[in-house]
Amino acid sequence: MQNSTIQAAPLLEAVELTKVYEDGVKALNNLNLVVREGEIYAMLGGNGAGKTTTINAFLDFIQPTSGKALINGIDANALPLEAKKHVAFVSENVQLYPNFTAMQNLDFFVRLGGKSHYERLDYERALHRVGLQSEAFDRKLKDFSKGMRQKCGIAIAILKDAPAILLDEPTSGLDPKAGKEFTRLVAELRDEGKAILMSTHDIFRAKEIADYVGILNNGELVAEKTKAELEGVNLEELYVEYMAGYMDEAPVSGSLSNNLS
Amino acid sequence: MFSLLLQKELKNIITSPKFTATFLVCSLLILISVFIGINEYENAVAQYQANQEIARQNIAEATSWGRVRNLLHREPNPVQIFVSGVHFDVGRLSNISDYNDVKLVRSPYSDETLFAIFRVIDFAFIVQIVLSLFAILFTYDAINGEREQGTLKLAFANSISRAKYLIAKFSGIWLGLIVPLLIPILLGMLMLIAFKVPLASTDWLSIISLVGLSVLYISLFIVIGILVSAITRSSSLSFLLLLVIWISGVLIVPRLGVMAAGQIVQVESVAQIEAKQEAFQKARWDDYSAELTEVWQEREAQMEGMSDEERTAYRDEMEWTWLEEDDASRKQVQSDIITNNRRLLEESQNRKKLQEQLAFNIARISPVASFQLAAMKLAGTDVGLKNRYETSMRLYKDDFSEYIQQKEAEEGGHGGFNISIDSEQGVQIDFGRNDQTLDTSEMPQYQSPELRLQDTVGAALFDFGFLGVCIVLGFGGSVLAFMRYDLR
Repeated sequence: MQNSTIQAAPLLEAVELTKVYEDGVKALNNLNLVVREGEIYAMLGGNGAGKTTTINAFLDFIQPTSGKALINGIDANALPLEAKKHVAFVSENVQLYPNFTAMQNLDFFVRLGGKSHYERLDYERALHRVGLQSEAFDRKLKDFSKGMRQKCGIAIAILKDAPAILLDEPTSGLDPKAGKEFTRLVAELRDEGKAILMSTHDIFRAKEIADYVGILNNGELVAEKTKAELEGVNLEELYVEYMAGYMDEAPVSGSLSNNLS
Repeated sequence: MFSLLLQKELKNIITSPKFTATFLVCSLLILISVFIGINEYENAVAQYQANQEIARQNIAEATSWGRVRNLLHREPNPVQIFVSGVHFDVGRLSNISDYNDVKLVRSPYSDETLFAIFRVIDFAFIVQIVLSLFAILFTYDAINGEREQGTLKLAFANSISRAKYLIAKFSGIWLGLIVPLLIPILLGMLMLIAFKVPLASTDWLSIISLVGLSVLYISLFIVIGILVSAITRSSSLSFLLLLVIWISGVLIVPRLGVMAAGQIVQVESVAQIEAKQEAFQKARWDDYSAELTEVWQEREAQMEGMSDEERTAYRDEMEWTWLEEDDASRKQVQSDIITNNRRLLEESQNRKKLQEQLAFNIARISPVASFQLAAMKLAGTDVGLKNRYETSMRLYKDDFSEYIQQKEAEEGGHGGFNISIDSEQGVQIDFGRNDQTLDTSEMPQYQSPELRLQDTVGAALFDFGFLGVCIVLGFGGSVLAFMRYDLR
């Protein structure tokens, strides 16, 4: 399905992942996707398409009805404590603890991620890297803007130093400058060899940095394109086309995905 | 990992503005309540000692044994500084005499009704009302609040177990609330030492047990808060639910329990019992009067046909026997009345005990009642206080009456005077005694009922256990709820 000649082992892999809720709603339907080392996979789709559900399945926040979510080859639902050692997560709206300073929040969540060897200097470097001003390091989070909190969130993910990163609509609500900075950081992390699975509504940013773009609708992967395939293609039009014409399209699943990629 | 979560929880609590506010309020309330409690106790002791002295003087000034009256006072108990219980509602003194039954009258609140309106703030009140509310304030969003602010997701994106997380959260909140609470409590204890409050080792044991009980009680509210927070999605809903639970548990259920028991087991009022006692007394004396008339008629019948001289001689011969017979009948009447009074009282007390037991058992649906009952038992200011004193005073009354009767028999002096006219000695007026002071050195001394460990700590053990079981169940429920909690 993906175009690497020498392919690394998948770090994030959804295998026929299906989630049907108790009320009968099918949030994911036979989803297959793979993210390898040094790749960014952007999931596009409208609200309720299944993007966040996919991320939740990798984090064991939901139990799949069938299929598997694998992190570094470990079933995230069967062995969640083991699987989560290999993944970092940045949510759509990073809140953290409002009474703690940026440093204190960083210290807590990084140590929670199993990294207890860092010193203040390491935290400062990470916060500098994500673009947070030095004056804000020891300020309480309750005074932070959303962009500043997101920067803290990505700093936590950087310091956890996990091979895979899950980003749930990380640029939503950010101003263009902050969004651009965030995108730059994600690209840097990919260049460092991280496998990044990102859900987003931002088609242009996805096209800019993603190595793979998957379009989800009603829990099904309806299209999957490589960066090369998207060269010269108007992704917005393609997205609308897939979303509108989906009812007549076969979902990308198993061998069918090859027809679309 | 556990210590990291624990530290975070502690730091989160200690750095929150509500912690500063609650810590200050609690410390201030506890210290003020102990200070006022000590003052009240010292006043009560001074009043008790003054009243004892007056009672001693009254006895010393009595000119005849028949006029000796004793007034017994309820002794202040230093642990009431922490738990006033029913202390302010129960009478402080009772008259000890042959003519009245023992009855504690003049409670502190009956003398100072102003304080009865809103009642006192003591340590038990602070724990029961204020701290339980604070415990809710610190726990209502323990789980769902973290979900709402996204930190739950972020935390569980790491390799941590839910059970460990919940235990750390409980421990953190517990330490964050309990340890700061112990500071003003310890200061309060130091105040007891500084003010030289006379505390026996059993009193200290009661106070320490009370602190332990309070810790259990607050732990229960922490557990309830976490449980509700773990079964609801929004913190506003859990706050509302906890408020309903708190109002029901603290303010409604205990009162409903008492009201329901009052309806199920009817107990006659004191006035009704007194009316019954008086009716029996009147009927018995009427019977006695009728019997006496019959007896005298029989005696008259025996003398029929006798000449005047024979009658006089017969009367002189029988006078002492008849007097003894009449006195025995009178004493029998008095004994019957006392027996009846005590029987009625005992029946009423047994029924009251049944009512109390039922009330307590219903009220214990709310653990708040358990705390209150146990705290009062530990302090000796429980509902048994009145009964304990009245029972011991009745026992004393028996000894006292026996002593007075013995003294009357030995030294005479029924409280009146005797005029005798003799053909040889003329008119003589006898006051019964020659001197005006009584030697009361051998008079039985009243000892306040002693509170044994089994009456305080022992009696509170059930409620300790009950609170412990509630905590275990509540925590188990929290773990189960959190294991199934949707972290999204």
